[in-house]
Amino acid sequence: MKEFGITRRKFLAGAAVGSASLVASSYMSFDTWAATDTASEDVSVTPTLCDACGNWCAINVYTKGGRIWKATGNPIAGLNKGRICVKGHAMLHDVYNKDRIKSPLKRVGANKFEPISWEQAYREIGAKLKDVIAKDGPNSLFLVQYPEGNEALTKRFMNALGSPNVFSHASTCFLPRNIGWWLTTGSAKPEQDLENARHVLFIGRNPAAGLQLRMLVDMAKAKDKGAKYVVVDPRFSEMAAMGHQWIQIKPGTDLALLLALAQVMIKENLYQKDFIDKYASGFDEWASKISDYTPKWASEITTIPEKVITKLAHDMAEVAPASVIHRGYHGAMGTQYKNSLQLVRAVGCINGLLGNYNQKGGMFNAPKVKLGKLGPEKYPQVPELDMPMVDGSGDPDRYPLTPVGLGISQAIPELALAGKLKAGFVYHNNPLRTCPNPARMIEGYRKLDLLVSFDYVLSETASLAHYVLPESYYLERDDVVHTNHCYTSKQVAIRQAVIKPLYDTKPMVQILVELAPHCGIGQYFNFSLDEYNRASLAPLNITLERLRKEGVIDLGGDWKPGEPAFTTPSGKLEILSSTLQDLNLPALPLWEEPLVSPNPKDPYEFRLIHGKQAHLTHTRSINQKYLKEITKLNDIARVWIHPDRAKALGIKDGECMTITSSVGKGRARARVTEGIHRDCVFLPSGYGVFAKHLERAFGFGTSYNDYLPTYFDPVLGHVMANEIIVRVEKTMS
Amino acid sequence: MPRYGIAIDTTKCIGCHSCRLACQNQNGLDFTETFNWIKDKERGKYPSFDKEYIPLQCNHCENAPCQRVCPTAATYTTPEGVVLVNKKTCVGCKYCMEACPYKMRIILHHQGIVVKCRFCIELVREGGTPACVTTCPTQVRIFGDLDDPNSEISRFIAESGAEPLRTDLGTLPKIYYKRS
Repeated sequence: MKEFGITRRKFLAGAAVGSASLVASSYMSFDTWAATDTASEDVSVTPTLCDACGNWCAINVYTKGGRIWKATGNPIAGLNKGRICVKGHAMLHDVYNKDRIKSPLKRVGANKFEPISWEQAYREIGAKLKDVIAKDGPNSLFLVQYPEGNEALTKRFMNALGSPNVFSHASTCFLPRNIGWWLTTGSAKPEQDLENARHVLFIGRNPAAGLQLRMLVDMAKAKDKGAKYVVVDPRFSEMAAMGHQWIQIKPGTDLALLLALAQVMIKENLYQKDFIDKYASGFDEWASKISDYTPKWASEITTIPEKVITKLAHDMAEVAPASVIHRGYHGAMGTQYKNSLQLVRAVGCINGLLGNYNQKGGMFNAPKVKLGKLGPEKYPQVPELDMPMVDGSGDPDRYPLTPVGLGISQAIPELALAGKLKAGFVYHNNPLRTCPNPARMIEGYRKLDLLVSFDYVLSETASLAHYVLPESYYLERDDVVHTNHCYTSKQVAIRQAVIKPLYDTKPMVQILVELAPHCGIGQYFNFSLDEYNRASLAPLNITLERLRKEGVIDLGGDWKPGEPAFTTPSGKLEILSSTLQDLNLPALPLWEEPLVSPNPKDPYEFRLIHGKQAHLTHTRSINQKYLKEITKLNDIARVWIHPDRAKALGIKDGECMTITSSVGKGRARARVTEGIHRDCVFLPSGYGVFAKHLERAFGFGTSYNDYLPTYFDPVLGHVMANEIIVRVEKTMS
Repeated sequence: MPRYGIAIDTTKCIGCHSCRLACQNQNGLDFTETFNWIKDKERGKYPSFDKEYIPLQCNHCENAPCQRVCPTAATYTTPEGVVLVNKKTCVGCKYCMEACPYKMRIILHHQGIVVKCRFCIELVREGGTPACVTTCPTQVRIFGDLDDPNSEISRFIAESGAEPLRTDLGTLPKIYYKRS
């Protein structure tokens, strides 16, 4: 071999390098890792905010040779404390996703689009909008969004047009949670001091998959110091894997468990009497009304053994006030059941029995930063609209407790079909996939005279829009100054462009500013994003330049335990809610049945429940190849079913099941596991994309919304997403 | 010279796969290529039902079978005890993949070379920790010097009784697991 001046080994190595260069575009970055002598390559770092979910974690994004490479967490950021979740790493890649929209689009047929200029899009949208306003008035306009940093400006846009109809995803996500806390404590979203809590009870809440990184960081630390985590859930959630005890509960019955816990604490005098005497109202009425809610009573409803309930009450009370029930999110306390609102109220009240408000290891209100506003001399203020939304939110006679600005988004198609809504904007949201009963959603949205979507990709909703205006990807744009990192101290943060836009896309704020004059409201958008941000920062004595350099700035003002302050009408922890009483609604948290229940004698009937997985957000991340690979590799899109129930139906692990409800039918493979209550099947959410332009996601898995009828909770109007009865059968091929 | 290892506390692992993605990005891996896996194991019936997530990666064995079988000596151990692959001398014969009892090596078909976890040696030499350690929301992994009795990892192993997987194989792995 020597005669050719090359050994076989060198030849093979050379061949390997040669083949690598043929596919340099996809493997370029790999080439650089193995050698440590490439540190001189053009690497730069930009602090910004993630957008893989609604948390907006602070990240430092690295580029290599001008291409997005990786990110690390900002260690001072209150929301993520130096960490990044799986989605945060993966969504970096999607700036290069070929499914992205590359310019403004106009729909020219069923799911057919042609590129147009921004100018043409603005002109045509403006003209159409003016027509609709002239004919049907501004109350026929709406905007539906995932409310994040730019929400103040989207609201300004709609209000300037004369419409109060700004919707969010609230009625499909968290509405009862926020209203329940607000009624009980005056604060819609209190925090819990997980770093110092010694006993934490999770009611259907799974922070290990519905991720908020600060909670996990704090809990991991506290666990090392001996904190105990008890997880109440129909299924063995990811949080249960990190916890000490899993209490399996019949879905929809959490309220009964909570009432029995209160009953034990009160009867056995285990509650913090001084705290209740001083800070609570309505305790005596509640105590007398719940005296029959014994562990025996709750055991029959929840299927939890009596002694487990009693012991739980004892364990919680023993370490009070460093004992807390997590404030909840979507699961159980969110928009799941007809009794969710009273469940949240009960959680708020029992945290009171534990005396943990504003105590170390208990509930507290995060310090807030007050940002500045554009001065009225130079920037005309939009007149305040003092009116309810078209769906009845904020209307004293309809949904008085549902806030204007959150709304009931599954009502939009109903209102369009009734001719009350004519034109709409959809921003950072995909109601056709995130709301129940897609057939009904499509029917309603099709009825609109004008639908404009602001999106990165042609989602289900964007596919129906008349115009799609592409927002720049979060790594390509600046956004408004944000205060979401306030947790135990005051912080401000900013999202800024890491790279220049790859395509003809624009930041949302710029789109609004440029669209406004065409809609006749240009006078209210006579500013640039930088001017808006400078006005926001003015009272804080921070320059925009400094914030851009640091990404997140801590302003101190740390939370300190002490006297609790309740901002309810009475200034107390309202066990008896004066607001509910004034509205002639049940004012004490007492037992209330869920809306529907499966027939226990029918082997085919189940309740369909759902929940998040750590690697997926809503409906947009399954189109991301790194994230979809996690689902495929671990086969985790399967529907969970109890072994005894599966056996009775002849279903084996991995086999296909047909799932039918009153509105939908679909298929899913079975995950036969002891980790689920026999009353229900569990469907992981994030699948079932039917937007054909999303190549990777399309047709993969199924969504709980396909089975959920269009409901409106009688008090708040939310979707009651777990009130689904399904029939499960083995799929016959 | 330190001797690096990782201690993994599976009782804190939530199976979120953040480690997998942080690693893929740090190492420029494509979506099907990974140095990190999470295996989940279900045991028992309610009320004693339990599920454990077990993160898996190269064990950086002291007595590494992959290194012994490599015909080109492409697999080598650094002075810090990190087992690496020299991609310039790897010929992609896959002997190492067969020899690894933990099956923690993968082949990059486009390049014809075998690769695996590298303890992010370039970050570690700058004073950092491997990407999987840094990103973990529940601090499942502790990285450090196994020879320093006062290091966090040594103290953790001593206190928890953490052990490597399959010690019976005699490969002397440097990943320790606390599993209950």
